[in-house]
Amino acid sequence: MKIKFFAVLGTLVLAASCTPTKVVVPLEEGQWQIGVTQGRPQINDGYLPMLGAYAAKGVSATKTNYGGIQFSSLFLGAVQLEGGSVAALLPQEGFRPGISYSYGAQSFLSTRDYAFRFYPEAGVNAYFENGPHILNASVNTWLDPTWFLSDFGRGQLLAPSVSAGYRLRYKWFEAQLEYKILNPTRELQIPQNYIPSTSGLGGRGMYWGIAINF
Amino acid sequence: MDISAALFAGGDGTYDFKNELLDPQYHVDETKIHLMDFQSDNDTVYALYVGDLAQIATDTIIFYLHGNASSMDNFWETAGLFANLGGSHHFGFMMYDYRGFGKSTGRSTGVESMAADYDAVLAFLQTQGLTSDRMVVVASSLGSLPAGSAAAGGSRIPVQKLVMEVPQSTANVIMQNATGLSLPASMLTNYKFDIGQNMEDYTGELLWMHGTEDLVAPIETAEAAMQKHNGTYYQEAIYEGAGHGLRWDIGDEEWSKIVLDFVRH
Repeated sequence: MKIKFFAVLGTLVLAASCTPTKVVVPLEEGQWQIGVTQGRPQINDGYLPMLGAYAAKGVSATKTNYGGIQFSSLFLGAVQLEGGSVAALLPQEGFRPGISYSYGAQSFLSTRDYAFRFYPEAGVNAYFENGPHILNASVNTWLDPTWFLSDFGRGQLLAPSVSAGYRLRYKWFEAQLEYKILNPTRELQIPQNYIPSTSGLGGRGMYWGIAINF
Repeated sequence: MDISAALFAGGDGTYDFKNELLDPQYHVDETKIHLMDFQSDNDTVYALYVGDLAQIATDTIIFYLHGNASSMDNFWETAGLFANLGGSHHFGFMMYDYRGFGKSTGRSTGVESMAADYDAVLAFLQTQGLTSDRMVVVASSLGSLPAGSAAAGGSRIPVQKLVMEVPQSTANVIMQNATGLSLPASMLTNYKFDIGQNMEDYTGELLWMHGTEDLVAPIETAEAAMQKHNGTYYQEAIYEGAGHGLRWDIGDEEWSKIVLDFVRH
């Protein structure tokens, strides 16, 4: 019972702390995208459907703004909202991938004691787009400006992640799949569970999503 | 949803306390096995005393707060070990099931319920004549939560000797170790505990036992909590390569020696 509990707990908190990449290639100007995402951080065989939703809009030909909410965090009593922008930096040319960058923030508000945490984030995406197919590799980091609030001085300023993904984007529909290495700069621990890691550090997650475009 | 309900889920118990389930070296006088129950708020808490009830007024008593297993059934061997620590029935031994564990009714929900259960059992020992100078509180893992607040002044019989075996540290640490972020536990639960603060407020003697490979209660954070202790005497026993099942990893002989030396200190 306790092992199952900690697996559930670990899945929940890991999922809450690292959300999937919302937009890799900016949308067309004026285009909207509304999607739902589901994630599965790897912790033994622990599994819960981690649900989130987001909306994005192409505000120009090269920039898309987005906002999202994590329902899994809300279920536990924390309001987790995120928002940001993705902007094109370099167009794809031949074998040179297109490059986009993102910036934004995540916020958590406890509904119990109104504790609040705010984590700015920034990332870079490299992508190849061919018809409806988009392949991408991304690096992203959260900044923890309240690292000093961690107990016993164990906080860390940066919480980076590295991911690779595939997107199938049609005019009205998009499907997304992403594999992510979470926080590979520190050892993550969940009582009585094994977190698959890279050289003993970080965690891993698989995320997928579907979205409509209009 | 509050995860504390799941954290303290407990489980079933049969309370089949018999010598045939013990290693022969830990056999007890079966006339000294006493299963009892106490009222804790609106719930009933079951407890096991091993020893002579009439000698609670004169014996040293081990008050054992067990870890996160379904019931006292899982700690019957521990009871046998303590009943033979320093000789057969040299010390009295008391343990109990928190609400929701074993046959104890209700559900453990946090600091208040665990403190009430602790107090309900200790009230009995007090009426039988137990005094502070003859009480040794031994807490293992989850048991460190009620033990911490009791040692910090929340015990009707003040705690003067405390053994913390593989203790947790704070509720926040569990959250922060899993995420790598400065998220407080209140994002998940109402249950708050801070054993470091408890140790800072505890004035008595402390023995801390831990393994370096403990994945349930990481040694780094447990160490930070234990070293806040400000009391009269501090002793630590750290075992390289040992995990959360410390006694099984280091063996009963070593474990008993350390605990016995501390009790007699």
